[in-house]
Amino acid sequence: MDTLINVAHGFGVALLPINLLYCFIGVFIGTLVGVLPGIGPISAMSLLLPVTLSGTPESGIIMMAGIYYGSMYGGSTTSILVNIPGEAASVVTCIDGHQMAKQGRAGPALGISAFGSFIAGTFALIALMLVAPSLASVAIAFGPAEYFSLMALGLVVLTFLTQGSMAKALLMACIGIVLGLIGLDSITAQPRLTFGRIELIDGIGLVPVVMGLFGVAEVLLNTEQVIKRDIINARITQLLPSKADWKASAGPIGRGTVLGFFLGILPGGGAVISSFASYALEKRLSKTPERFGHGAIEGVAGPESANNAAAGGAFIPLMTLGIPPNVVMALLLGAFVIHGLQPGPLLITQNPGLFWGIVASMYIGNVMLLVLNLPMIGMWVQLLKLPYNILFPLIILFTILGVYCSSNNVFDVYVMIAFGIIGYFMRKLGYEPAPLVLAFVLGPMLENNLRKSLILSQGDLTTFVTRPISAVCLALAVLLLVGPLLPSLRKKRELVALDEGA
Amino acid sequence: MSNDSNVKFRLDNSELWGGLIGLALGGFVIWHGIKLKLGTIHEPGSGFVLFYVGILMSLFAVSIIIASLTEGGPTFGSRWENTRWTKPLLIIACLTAFSFSLDTFGFPLSSIPLMVLLLRLIDPVRWSLTIPIAVLAPLGMWWVLKRLLLIQLPSGIFEIG
Amino acid sequence: MSSRNRLMFAVAAVGMLISAAAGAQEYPTKPITLIVPWPAGGSTDLTMRAIAESASKILGQPIAIDNKAGGGGTVGPATMAAASKPDGYTIAQLPITVFRLPLMQEVSWDPSKDFSYIVHLTGYTFGVTTSAESPFKTWKDVIDFAKQNPGKVTYATPGTGTSLHIGMEQIATMAGVKLTQVPFKGGAETNAAVLGQHTMLQADSTGWRPLVDAGKLRLLMVWTGTRSPNFPDVPTLKELGYPMVYDSPFGIAGPKGMDPKIVAKLHDAFKKALEDPAVVATLAKYDMVPNYKNTEDYKKFVVEVTESERKVIDSLGLAKK
Repeated sequence: MDTLINVAHGFGVALLPINLLYCFIGVFIGTLVGVLPGIGPISAMSLLLPVTLSGTPESGIIMMAGIYYGSMYGGSTTSILVNIPGEAASVVTCIDGHQMAKQGRAGPALGISAFGSFIAGTFALIALMLVAPSLASVAIAFGPAEYFSLMALGLVVLTFLTQGSMAKALLMACIGIVLGLIGLDSITAQPRLTFGRIELIDGIGLVPVVMGLFGVAEVLLNTEQVIKRDIINARITQLLPSKADWKASAGPIGRGTVLGFFLGILPGGGAVISSFASYALEKRLSKTPERFGHGAIEGVAGPESANNAAAGGAFIPLMTLGIPPNVVMALLLGAFVIHGLQPGPLLITQNPGLFWGIVASMYIGNVMLLVLNLPMIGMWVQLLKLPYNILFPLIILFTILGVYCSSNNVFDVYVMIAFGIIGYFMRKLGYEPAPLVLAFVLGPMLENNLRKSLILSQGDLTTFVTRPISAVCLALAVLLLVGPLLPSLRKKRELVALDEGA
Repeated sequence: MSNDSNVKFRLDNSELWGGLIGLALGGFVIWHGIKLKLGTIHEPGSGFVLFYVGILMSLFAVSIIIASLTEGGPTFGSRWENTRWTKPLLIIACLTAFSFSLDTFGFPLSSIPLMVLLLRLIDPVRWSLTIPIAVLAPLGMWWVLKRLLLIQLPSGIFEIG
Repeated sequence: MSSRNRLMFAVAAVGMLISAAAGAQEYPTKPITLIVPWPAGGSTDLTMRAIAESASKILGQPIAIDNKAGGGGTVGPATMAAASKPDGYTIAQLPITVFRLPLMQEVSWDPSKDFSYIVHLTGYTFGVTTSAESPFKTWKDVIDFAKQNPGKVTYATPGTGTSLHIGMEQIATMAGVKLTQVPFKGGAETNAAVLGQHTMLQADSTGWRPLVDAGKLRLLMVWTGTRSPNFPDVPTLKELGYPMVYDSPFGIAGPKGMDPKIVAKLHDAFKKALEDPAVVATLAKYDMVPNYKNTEDYKKFVVEVTESERKVIDSLGLAKK
């Protein structure tokens, strides 16, 4: 009963006109920065932090949360339309989302990702209200050994994203890890693989790698096609998902939501892992896995729901323990502190109005996002009607600016162009970029946690199998790796791999 | 695989070369791992993970090479069959030239020619459309970034922009 | 295309909002980046955010915090020294490890040459905690256990070479036990590690305070000279028989070669920020005492601290070979 009273109280706070206004500004800016690759939620939120300080803590934090939420929505738009993922979590959306756009189904793809996000976001918030305090233990149950095993499982799952050979996918994943380790070692501060270039001390940025491998490489691949004016099919049949689309997507949205919510609780990497774990799961469960990679709507619905549910789950460690699971959450934490609040276990009991107000406002923000985004789908689809010979130079200009803005560094533009060229040849030779990018994100965490767990266990490798959570993750990973060798499963992979080696 | 009836060693087998590049990279990573010191299993050093990832890379690369030798694979020629392979090369050349000129000549002076080239070289857009797009798109974005978002794009030696 | 233009316009309008406050055309004319070499959510991060917020009001430009954690707080400053322009738009918090690590191993920076020191700000209160569910009730319990199980006691620190690491090693040497250090990236991570009992102890600055207040962590000792008024029951190092005080003072610096005028402007802004009641309150929340030093005194202090650190490192046998 307490919860109900609290929720009612929360809506009371969130529905104040001033808070509604802040919430709207937040989600609106969030959608914008999500659509513009390069200007991510982090830079927008740090720049706007001072603006939020003028009002009450509630309004400020409601607006910041809105930006975060909104950007998760916007991130999928460029993935689907032009194959440029705005952030790591939407890399997976590119795989099937952009294929759908090419088939003239950009509308349903954008639509299902908006609805999926809405459903997942709503569920995550309800779960947040009901079980937040009791799930706090999940966030800390993961120590270095558990993280290592989870990352290892993540990397194995990666290989299920690809249509080609396992060896190629694994090789790409390894290259991704190595690229991720460039820069100063996070434990000893020694420079690694920097070749004396000062620009590499800080490592390679995710934005230039992703924009090069996806955005630029895609343009290069498209332009080599013999005059097909509309590489992206302008014959747009419908703007919203059809009944059949809904039927196919219901399961993926449900599973993606649950998966995303639980993985989102884990500090570090939760949203990214959840998006591709959901993709892999759907591909595994599907009766027609060969459709994945060629515009399967399940491959958009699942990951998009997962990464939005993860955004909700991420509030749990922040609100209950004061441990921010990612930089965006940390910015929110900064906002709390500047407003004189103490995030931590006592926040909910000491400031119930604030906590429940924020949760309620996120719910309202979700509704606003849906209302804001649905009419925009038509507008986005119109954009695709531009002939490709005009569209592609604009895409290139857009990626150059996006990369430059993300770091204010010309070097990153070089990196992007280099990865664009590498990406083109990789794709031509049947090596896919998705495993590389995801390993690039997970690699540093994998390394750091492996080293820490070996220090903790004093070099005893059995620590990975004697700790239950870690053991489960590793067992799953082995099962997935050995699985394709077993005859019954082999058939499935071969079906998927048919288009290779032609 | 469709062509396993006539498997024979061919130098233009693209799979083979992909594998060889992978193997070379793997060796390079192993070498760097050793150089950065492996440390002990009790306290792994900076090169520990690099070393083992390098070994894995080499293993996967070898398996790709073996597969290419036993099963054959598509040739470079077939990969680029029926494509206008000069077009991507042209774009790559434009982008490379752009990256060299960006620091020297600045964003507006580099991106306008880049846009003109991209619009004209691939599937030529008529001039009456090319010029406005090539001039307005970069300048518009440059103005928004510089004046309103306070992001300074490279201005080059002529200080334009 | 109208859609995209409209978008850019809206983003632009927001930009105007921010820049409206700026006005003046001299430095600073754009947002300043302050590198905090610790993960977000720890005591340094949170207090630096408060200080930056106050300083940004004085400077008239937003200060964006960039969390570049790792290497015991050296990865951020080292990156800045190597890659940033000395134009005053990139500055970093400089923890004591920046001076200490070069004594212990090969590094890419030279603290006497590579930085433009701006202002010295404050120092930490350090403490050692354990999970509330742990059998260790007092520090003596830890030492007793460690004597019977050498190397089995693990403690999480914010990085190798941090004052926490060095301090714990000194304590271990004096007590005649062996403890195992596990280097994390900073407070937010060590909190999670000790809460989940992945390490037995946590040695870190006051980021643990909310968890100690909530009864989830047990504070075993503090490393200040006298007992903290917030935790009057917790003994200091001296009381436990280790004649040491650790506070790891820190300040901010930019890359080498900054214009003295810009340094002076930043110095004045951060000095004023240190007097802002909101900042004083935030610092007090984390038991941090303002320790202002101007640019010249800060430079002298760096030389002194390097010398005293050299002695400690030598005595522990951790010096660079």
